[in-house]
Amino acid sequence: MRFQNAARDGRAVVYAGIQAEPVVARVAALLADATPAQRVMARAVMNGETTDPSGWMTMFPTLFGADVAEGPQRARSEAILTTSLKVADRGEQVRSQLRGAIVEALTAALLERRVGAGAVHRERRILFDGVRTEIHPYDVTVERDGAAEAYDCKWGARGINADVLHQLDDARGHAADEEAALRVALVLFDAERSCRVRLDRQTAPTAGTELIALETLDRLASG
Amino acid sequence: MTDSATVPDLIDHALAAYADLTALGEDVEDEWSYVNDLSASWTDRLERISADRAGAEATAAQVAAVDQAVAEIAAISDPHRAIDWLSTFPQVVLVALGEQP
Repeated sequence: MRFQNAARDGRAVVYAGIQAEPVVARVAALLADATPAQRVMARAVMNGETTDPSGWMTMFPTLFGADVAEGPQRARSEAILTTSLKVADRGEQVRSQLRGAIVEALTAALLERRVGAGAVHRERRILFDGVRTEIHPYDVTVERDGAAEAYDCKWGARGINADVLHQLDDARGHAADEEAALRVALVLFDAERSCRVRLDRQTAPTAGTELIALETLDRLASG
Repeated sequence: MTDSATVPDLIDHALAAYADLTALGEDVEDEWSYVNDLSASWTDRLERISADRAGAEATAAQVAAVDQAVAEIAAISDPHRAIDWLSTFPQVVLVALGEQP
C-alpha cells in the first residue's frame, strides 16, 4: 500500500482554489475548538436563508442569550457566526464547495492534533499492487507506517452514497490483503441520527467503515 | 407563540412547521423514502423530549428561538435545501431547549 498525489486535472485546480480561500481555514480553525452547539449553529448558518446576524443570535439563546457572559466562549460563538455568514453570503454553488472544503480542513486540523501535521495529507490516492487505482482521491489521509487512515468528508448525511462506501471498504480490504492496517472513516458535519438513517438505506458494506458525525468530531483528535 | 408557552407547546409548534418542511422535501422524488425516514426519526426524538418535559415552562428566549427557527424554514422554497434542514432544524430546536443536539 502506498500513497500518491491526485492528478492535477481541471477539477483539482478549481477545487484547490476553493480550499485556499482564507475563510475556509478561518472557519475550520474556529470549529476545531467549538462546542457541539456552536457547530450546530455554524451548520445552520451556512445552510441558511437569513444573513441577518440578529436572527441567528435569537435562534441560539444558549450561545448569545443575555445570561451568557462575555468571555472566550461567547467570543468564539460570535466569530463562528460572523465567518459562517461570509460563507452563507456566497452563491449556492460556491457556498456548497466552501462547505465541503471546510469539513476537509476541519478534519485535517483535528487529525493533526493527534498525529502531527507531517502525517496528514489532502487529496491523495491509495495504490495497491495489482489493483486499478480509484478515480477519486481520498479527502484526507494519515500516512504512518503501520497506522494509515483514510477519510471521506461530507457536509451532510445526504452525501453518503454507495460509491463512497464501496471506495472506503475496498481500500480497507485491499490493505488487509497486503497485511497492512488502514482505518477508513466517513466524516459528516451532520447529526449522527441523520447519518444513521442514511446509512440504514445503503446496501454497500458499512461494517468496516467508521462514522464520525458532528457530535463526535473530537474523536479525530483523540483517536 | 406567547411568552407563557411550555416546552411541549414549543415542540408542537416546531413539529407543525417540520411537517410542512417534510412535505417540501418530498418533492425530490428520488429521496422520498429518505425524507420520510429522516423526518420520522427526528419527530420521534422531539416527541420523546416533549413527553419527558411535560408541563415545563419555556423561557421567553426559548420561545423566540423556536419562532425564529420556524420562520427560517418557512422561508425555504427549494426542496433540496428543505432536505438539508430536515436534519438541521431539529438540532437547532434541541439546542434552543438546552438538550444535546
